[in-house]
Amino acid sequence: MIDIQDVHKQFTTRTGAGLFKRGRKSVVHAVQGVSVTAANGRITGLLGANGAGKTTTLRMLAGLLAPDSGHIAVDGIVVGSRESAMGRPEPAQPPRGVGGATRRTGGTLAALARMGILGDAHGLYPRLSARENIAYFGRLQGMELDAANARAEELARLLEMQSILDRRAEGFSQGERMKTALARALVHDPANIVLDEPTNGLDVLATRALREALRWLRSPEGGSKCIVFSTHIMQEVEQLCDEVVIVSHGRSVAHGNVPALLELAGEQRFEDAFVKLAFPEEIAA
Amino acid sequence: MTQAWIVFTKELADALRDRRTLLRILIPALLMGPLLLMALSGLIASFEERAEKREVVVYGADNGPTLVNYLQRQTYTINSIKGDVLREGYEKGLREGKMAAPLLVIPADFEAKLLAGEAPVVEVMSDSANQRAQASVGAVKGLLYGFNQERASLNLAMRGVSIELLKPIDIEERDLASVQARAARLSSIIPMFIIMAVLYGALTAALDSTAGERERGSLEPLLMNPAPHGAIVVGKWGAVALLGMAVALLSSLSFVPAQWLLRSDSLQAMFQFGMPEVLAFWLLQIPLAAGLSAMLMALAIRSKTFKEAQAGSTLIVTAISLAPMVTLLNPGGEAAWYLWVPGLAQNTLMLAVLKGETLRWGQVLPGVVVGFALTAVALFYVARSMRAAVAR
Repeated sequence: MIDIQDVHKQFTTRTGAGLFKRGRKSVVHAVQGVSVTAANGRITGLLGANGAGKTTTLRMLAGLLAPDSGHIAVDGIVVGSRESAMGRPEPAQPPRGVGGATRRTGGTLAALARMGILGDAHGLYPRLSARENIAYFGRLQGMELDAANARAEELARLLEMQSILDRRAEGFSQGERMKTALARALVHDPANIVLDEPTNGLDVLATRALREALRWLRSPEGGSKCIVFSTHIMQEVEQLCDEVVIVSHGRSVAHGNVPALLELAGEQRFEDAFVKLAFPEEIAA
Repeated sequence: MTQAWIVFTKELADALRDRRTLLRILIPALLMGPLLLMALSGLIASFEERAEKREVVVYGADNGPTLVNYLQRQTYTINSIKGDVLREGYEKGLREGKMAAPLLVIPADFEAKLLAGEAPVVEVMSDSANQRAQASVGAVKGLLYGFNQERASLNLAMRGVSIELLKPIDIEERDLASVQARAARLSSIIPMFIIMAVLYGALTAALDSTAGERERGSLEPLLMNPAPHGAIVVGKWGAVALLGMAVALLSSLSFVPAQWLLRSDSLQAMFQFGMPEVLAFWLLQIPLAAGLSAMLMALAIRSKTFKEAQAGSTLIVTAISLAPMVTLLNPGGEAAWYLWVPGLAQNTLMLAVLKGETLRWGQVLPGVVVGFALTAVALFYVARSMRAAVAR
């Protein structure tokens, strides 16, 4: 269960610096009011154009960025709170300034232990085998080596990557790298799975395999996981998601399942519905 | 603590699997020092050979039988050069560094002037760029002074003046340096190589585990594990420092077989580098390896790429490798502040070990304090910067 309520985040960047002149400071509102509620046993899609604020939202969920305001909770544990005790949500700490990167709190660590996150950066260690890459993260999640190894084999079966399990990650293809990174994120059998554009760069077969794996993880046999993934690909949302949150210009503008969104927009095709909901001003123009 | 250990073992395994990089570190670390030591010993052996030969190269030996006779009485053999062609050839050889002995030139009117008491001019020809020849100039000049002394004494004695008048004082040389201290002048290059070995060992690992990890995009997933940043940083640092220490150990061990190959016997007898020295050297590196690793990591964590980090670390690499130069450029004596500068402190202490001195706690402690204070500050900085590094 992941609950993101009205989070905001802004960055300061410099623009148009010349050779001798520093650029002017400008504030970018990356996220200005995104809310997502993802239930267990469901796949929730974060659908938005490039730069809509999906990745920033997910990075705040992972505790890499502190939200300027808003509330993020994973299974009732508030990200950024002091307490690590479960079921006792604490109020989030006051905002910590733009781009603030301070110590992680007990709440963040406890929330991280309940999430498997595949972010937009998912580099592997090239000199370690796929199995070692997976087991390393398992051990950091507090698993014993044997348990982590056993889990690596289980995930290899699920993701159909047994053949590469004991190969070094050096020469992996894009798909093999993605599978290893996904297995690494899932090694501690987290109740919540967060994927940031997981199908980027994958071919049809690999995308299908990933889709199957996600469906299985959603099912009761797979553990009724709460799955959140971000994407800009309509097909994926249509085929996979039980719930869709459309994000546009840093705001969540609509949510519901695919038929509900079609009805809301009054369109037949999901792509048209998305454009209408995400960019109403451009349609009007 | 467990998490730090997990990170430590992984980083160590990761670094040890990078065979090609390791090999490239080990070749300069293990071979350069001993090779240089052997080359130097060859040079010293040739000096010794020259001194043992007791030979003077003379042009115009026939012009000065008195002087030649004196030289022969000092048990020197005369290597006489005759004719202008040969003389020019010899001078050319001196300039090119082929000839290893200076040329003594006796003028044609030597005997006549000597008899007349007109002080004939004798030339000692050498080339100050030719080190081997230059080293023998002192010996030849000593012989000529001896000749002067003898002539003067005889002249005075013939006039009934006491020879004692010529020598108002007696000079006697006494070398205070112990045998080991003399050898230390040669072996003073060893500490430099061991400090460099620490640096080589730690450098790539430090950059790879910080900037490299960032460049690969594996830092962000790593930080999404519920492990405290402090534990991750300590684990990484432990692996980096251990690699630096391992290369340092191998480097100091490499000097043990190297000394068996020393070409000069007397040098071999003087050069004391056994297991106790290896151990002392190694222990002295601990604060350096700790501080250096942490500093390199702190420098690299802010860099987006390995390349940027490498450029940034040049400063530390240069500073540390130049540290031993301070002692070479300022041989006037060791200043107390040496012991407070990382690199320089280790160099000073290792030189003391080579001289056979016993180290006092007061000498060792400053380096240890500075090393570990540096470690603590740098690691704190790395832990703080880690999330900022991925948040951008």
